[in-house]
Amino acid sequence: MAHFLRSCVLICCLVACLGKADASDDIPFSFENDIVPVLTKAGCNSGVCHAKAGGGQNGFELSLLGFEPWDDYEHLVMAGRGRRLFPSAPDQSLLLRKASGKTPHRGGIVLPEDSNGYQLVKRWIAGGTPKGDSTVLVTNIQVIPQSNTIKPGEKLQLKVFAHYSNGMSREVTDLALYESNDLGMATVTDGGMVTALDLPGRVGVMVRFQGLVNVFNAAIPLGTASVHPEPLNFIDEHVFRNLELIGVGSSRLCDDATFVRRVTLDIAGRIPSSTEAREFLLDDDPEKRSKLIDRLLQSPSYADYFANKWTALLKNRRDDASDITSNFAFHAWVRDSLLANVPYDQLVRELLAATGTVIANPAVAWYKRVKEPKQQMEDVAQLFLGVRMQCAQCHHHPFERWSQDDYYGLSAFFTRVGRKPTGIQGEDLIFHQRGKAEAKNVKTGQMVTPVALGQDVGVIAPDEDPRLRLSKWLSDPGNPFFAKALVNRYWKHFFKRGLIEPEDDIRDTNPASNPALLKALEDHFLSSGFDLKELVRAITNSRAYQLQAVPSDSNLVDRQNYSRFYPRRLQAEVLLDAIDELTGSTTNFANLPLGTKAIALPDNSYNKSSPFLRVFGRPESLSVCECERVQSASLAQSLHLINAGDIKSKLSVAGGTAQKLAAQKTPVKDRVSELYFAAFSRPPTETELQISVEFLTGQQSEKVDSETLPEITQQQFEDLIWALINTKEFLFNH
Amino acid sequence: MAIHSTVHNALGIQLTLRILGWFALTTSILCAEIDAQSVCLPAPRLLTTFPMGGQIGTEFEVTVTGQYTELTSDLRFSHPGVTATPVKDSQGNPVNGRYTVRVASNTTPGLVEASLMTRLGLSASRIFTIGSLTEVTQDKGNLSVEDAMPLQLDTVCNCTMTARSIDHYRFVAEQGQRILVDCAAKGIDSKLNPVVVVADENGQDLVVERRGGAIEFRVPSSGSYIVKVHDLTFKGGEHYFYRLNLRVLPDQAIAKRHFRTSQVSSFSWPPQGVADHALLKEVEPNGVDAPQRIELPCDIEGAFAKAADTDVFEFQGKKGDAWWIEIASERLGCPTDPTVVVQRVGSDSGEVVLQDVAELNDIPSPVKVSSNGYAYDGPPYNAGSSDVLGKFEIKEDGLHRVRLSDLFGGTRNDPSNVYRLIIRKAKPDFALVAWGLHMPLRNGDRNALSKPIALRGGATMALEVVSIRRDGFDGEIHLSMDNLPDGVTATGLSIPPNQNRGIVLITAHENAPRGMTVAEIWGSASVQGKEIKRECHLASMAWPVPNHWSEVPSPRLVADVLVSVGGDETTPITIAPRQVKVWEGTEGEKISIPLVHMRRGEFSGAVMAAKTLGAGFEKFQFELPLDKDSSEAVLDLAALKTPPGDYRIAFYGGAVAKYQHYPAGVDIASANVDRLNAVHVELKSKAENIQKMLQAASEEAKGMLNAELQNVNEEQKRVAGEIKAAAIQLKNATSAAKAKDIVDIVVSEPVNIRVHPRKEQ
Repeated sequence: MAHFLRSCVLICCLVACLGKADASDDIPFSFENDIVPVLTKAGCNSGVCHAKAGGGQNGFELSLLGFEPWDDYEHLVMAGRGRRLFPSAPDQSLLLRKASGKTPHRGGIVLPEDSNGYQLVKRWIAGGTPKGDSTVLVTNIQVIPQSNTIKPGEKLQLKVFAHYSNGMSREVTDLALYESNDLGMATVTDGGMVTALDLPGRVGVMVRFQGLVNVFNAAIPLGTASVHPEPLNFIDEHVFRNLELIGVGSSRLCDDATFVRRVTLDIAGRIPSSTEAREFLLDDDPEKRSKLIDRLLQSPSYADYFANKWTALLKNRRDDASDITSNFAFHAWVRDSLLANVPYDQLVRELLAATGTVIANPAVAWYKRVKEPKQQMEDVAQLFLGVRMQCAQCHHHPFERWSQDDYYGLSAFFTRVGRKPTGIQGEDLIFHQRGKAEAKNVKTGQMVTPVALGQDVGVIAPDEDPRLRLSKWLSDPGNPFFAKALVNRYWKHFFKRGLIEPEDDIRDTNPASNPALLKALEDHFLSSGFDLKELVRAITNSRAYQLQAVPSDSNLVDRQNYSRFYPRRLQAEVLLDAIDELTGSTTNFANLPLGTKAIALPDNSYNKSSPFLRVFGRPESLSVCECERVQSASLAQSLHLINAGDIKSKLSVAGGTAQKLAAQKTPVKDRVSELYFAAFSRPPTETELQISVEFLTGQQSEKVDSETLPEITQQQFEDLIWALINTKEFLFNH
Repeated sequence: MAIHSTVHNALGIQLTLRILGWFALTTSILCAEIDAQSVCLPAPRLLTTFPMGGQIGTEFEVTVTGQYTELTSDLRFSHPGVTATPVKDSQGNPVNGRYTVRVASNTTPGLVEASLMTRLGLSASRIFTIGSLTEVTQDKGNLSVEDAMPLQLDTVCNCTMTARSIDHYRFVAEQGQRILVDCAAKGIDSKLNPVVVVADENGQDLVVERRGGAIEFRVPSSGSYIVKVHDLTFKGGEHYFYRLNLRVLPDQAIAKRHFRTSQVSSFSWPPQGVADHALLKEVEPNGVDAPQRIELPCDIEGAFAKAADTDVFEFQGKKGDAWWIEIASERLGCPTDPTVVVQRVGSDSGEVVLQDVAELNDIPSPVKVSSNGYAYDGPPYNAGSSDVLGKFEIKEDGLHRVRLSDLFGGTRNDPSNVYRLIIRKAKPDFALVAWGLHMPLRNGDRNALSKPIALRGGATMALEVVSIRRDGFDGEIHLSMDNLPDGVTATGLSIPPNQNRGIVLITAHENAPRGMTVAEIWGSASVQGKEIKRECHLASMAWPVPNHWSEVPSPRLVADVLVSVGGDETTPITIAPRQVKVWEGTEGEKISIPLVHMRRGEFSGAVMAAKTLGAGFEKFQFELPLDKDSSEAVLDLAALKTPPGDYRIAFYGGAVAKYQHYPAGVDIASANVDRLNAVHVELKSKAENIQKMLQAASEEAKGMLNAELQNVNEEQKRVAGEIKAAAIQLKNATSAAKAKDIVDIVVSEPVNIRVHPRKEQ
């Protein structure tokens, strides 16, 4: 044993000196530190190969990414009566014959005979397949450089060093795994060579080695001279500073018409009425933009729109007709809380620590849909912390630091949720059940007490509801996830792309495109007391938000630095309301008053009766992921807008816009102008006016006397409105 | 002649209206729900009153609707200060469904219950609120901001909700005023789950309340404001009524909410001899770090005011002492779930160490409560509570703590969530509550749960009586009733020792006369050698629920135990022992009880699967033939393992009767059609005569004759319309009177049994 330890130290020293990842002929091996990384690098223990759930591949099973090295040792060396390895003739080992392709292998050649990995494994087999010292562990990995600027088309070689618990280090560049978080910006080879592509911005390369992760951050500059508006608030400072750094210019500020439509859509989920648009354009108050933002934030539409967002994420789903009461109550609770601007931390606390009945405390309805502590924890982690814990239930998270103990430690907060039946089927009464909160780690069989993602929350007495302790941890200003996850989510709402993307996958290996801005937003949100309206106010008042969507030469390729406004299609509900608003029609939703807006729908049940909402991707509230909402375009959407029965009905609805305009005794140009204000919040251009007038009157525009009142049929106005609906300008927030 | 004729016709029309009135009141509902009520024979129910309340010292008109409330005579209130007389038409005839209600000036504000005396007896009751504010009624059509109904401050508006709509009201207030917007709905028997919104004058929401609470609105600037009211799921209709209270609150005044019915669990509060208010109050902060010192016994008032509020009381305990602890909070109407942990305070190396002595939670329901499934599997009344009633014993001398918290209070701040904490030495006692016995008749049905004690001649109705026992009382509780109508008797099947369920049988003699009383149900027992007697509360459901999937029953306590006999119908079958005597037998042997079936109608099915009520025999079941005039129940005492003693039992089961609803109504409707036809013929003849007269009349007379002809023609048209309506009513009455299969609970008259000890060999 003493000899082995001495050898271990020796190998570490040698490797550190040599800076190589292999072991020399006469040095004993550590299975965990030498062999497992080779298997991982070769992909043997990936989820689709021998770490596949349910027994691996063809009877040969390895743990995912080598997180259970001693299980792997058993499987490799002992299982199958040791048939996989032949120490006396290592090259004849089944392991090496398969890996090198000498024996047919469905996974192909993963360890060519002349590779370092092959030779290393061969020597290990020849050496009697020693286990090695299990006490020497990798404590961290270092990437050199940690960050750098790489010009488009240039390359940079990364070097990776592993540091061990015995104080030794060695280079593991060949054994580490690399992954770019944006393949459109940078690629990376198996050997750690990074190549910057043409898109400017920030990109991360994740580096993994033996369960540890690190990241290389690269800035890819465009290198053009950049011009930016005068910053108005801290957001502008960070956005423009980043643009300056990467040499990307800003688009110009958008005009009032674009702004009123954009901000009304983003805050209130609706298009402005023609009157609102006209009044805003005529208003000469220099503060009119910020005043409009305040008005919108005070309006019930703001609460309706954001409640629509949150309730879908909180799975306010109707599975049974009897769910109607709890769904309406829950939706209303979220909506009313947003209307009253309840601080975000309080809102989340009321949800997580909900007790009582649905009617007395609608937040309880969340526990009706999310019943199991593990599911509750996973949803909370993803939605409120931006952390995906699902993987860690069965194995160490491959891209993160989360272990199974972290998983069960977090779910332990929910293990004292008591339930009693109520008079309503499917609805339980929720209460705190006194007792010690703990969850069983199914792998180790050990009971785990509540731990908040590696952070100690102290001992929780049996009398205390652990969910309240979790809520307290969430709202702690030092919490590294809670505020960050929210500001990132809201940033994405207004800018189409999160600073961290996807917005609910916050991890060390998925860096923000503008870390300083994210931190500043987080700080602002915390200092405001988790004030959601203030966050929206700060974002929408920024110059960055008010940039044009039209790209300039210096930012045409930018996709992640917010040098311009990124247009996005209106959400299903918003688009339906917008069409109703423009056509003067209403959509009839079951059990709701006539005139109820689609953004105010309490649950997913209305998708069934509305092909429109389905086609345009309204979510079914099945998951906590915003990705469930489909925002992509499809042929079905185009056909629906062009030809669907419900669109036709809206165009021709009695008392609708087309009928009113046809009956109006006003000059045709005024009527066209009215339509353009209603659809786009702006007057028509000369060309648009000319085309429209000619279409409606059959005469050339200049020949139409502004005082004459030509007879125009309802059908003609329907056609014109139909044309406006089918423009990108109408369908997109831009 | 012309004038006389007009008067005659007017009379006829009034009469028609009156008859149509009761049809409108009864058969329209009957037709809509006849299929739904194929479970349980028709029972009268008062469904709505409008308005739903009145101001003290005023007189006003009330319109009522009901179910099976034909030939209604009186509208009765549970408070003597509230009286009603039928509204009369110009001829002095009562107008059906309309009453003039007077509220005496010395009446105190609160809830009373209204009910109708019908041909089937006294109806199930409906809540009616007596208050001191000005009462107004809703202007229909107030469904938008533009059409908002103006409301003065300090008024109550009586309203009904339109489905898929939002009612709008407008009020004007001064800056700084404190306005309480309080919507009474669930607590006054309405089906409405009210959502109340205070909005600015343009209808932009400012404050919303959806949990049945009130809004205390501090007026931000003088001007006009909108109140919106709707149902949580936008349901509506006449059963979705509400009373919108708009009150100005003086600064610092505690906002008093509207009156509410009592939940069933509240029957067990307060214990005998407990004062309305405790002398001792909790003093915050009295948490874990600063317990409040008390001495036992104690009676303390407190509140779960803050989120996760934990109140800790500390006392010196003496080894061997046994204490009973009782907490009321949920039973006071608060949405709370109190829990108590009693701990001994010790120390270890200078550190305080708490050792659990007892943990006490809910008061369990004394009988199995129905699950929330579709099929009926037990009474859906929870006589238990989320409050606390239990015992703890001091194991060692020393400092102890009572740690009190609300399991529902983790996140809310609401000082109105009060509690009462009593710790006492054992004071054995009991509390009782009763409700109509129900059984599985048809899946989803919960109809009988809301039926009144309105008896047909020859019928026996069973009430299920359950007890909450206090402080270790385990003795037998004898049940009885007082103050029953003529021809009605009641028999109590006792609650046995250590059990919590008994039965009261209320039997109307076949020839019992029409009548009603406010009866009393009593439980009596010997406690520590002393006879005590406790009044039993009565619970009922606010609405008949024919389909549990579509509606959850709403239980509450009712004010009076109203027992009545309609006198117009007899029950389809009466089952009674052949003789009124004590049937005797010996332990381990058999007793045969000959039964007589007094059958007054036909039944579907030849037998009824009969079960048994009453301790000692509850396992006994037999098939009772419905097509025979007698049967025999053979009780095998060996199989039943009934020990010697005196017993009182009854048999019951579900039988499907061929029931004809109110055949006399067909004759009335038919006569109405005939009468209207006759009036129509008369009017037609009259018109022809006038036309003839016109031909020979002077120009001067023509004017008068033409005018008269026009009147007659108009009356003809009106009567023709009434004939049409009367024909429909006749059709409906005829349909209702056709024999239909209705399953009902049949309960026998009581049977007295004595089991003698087995003879020594």
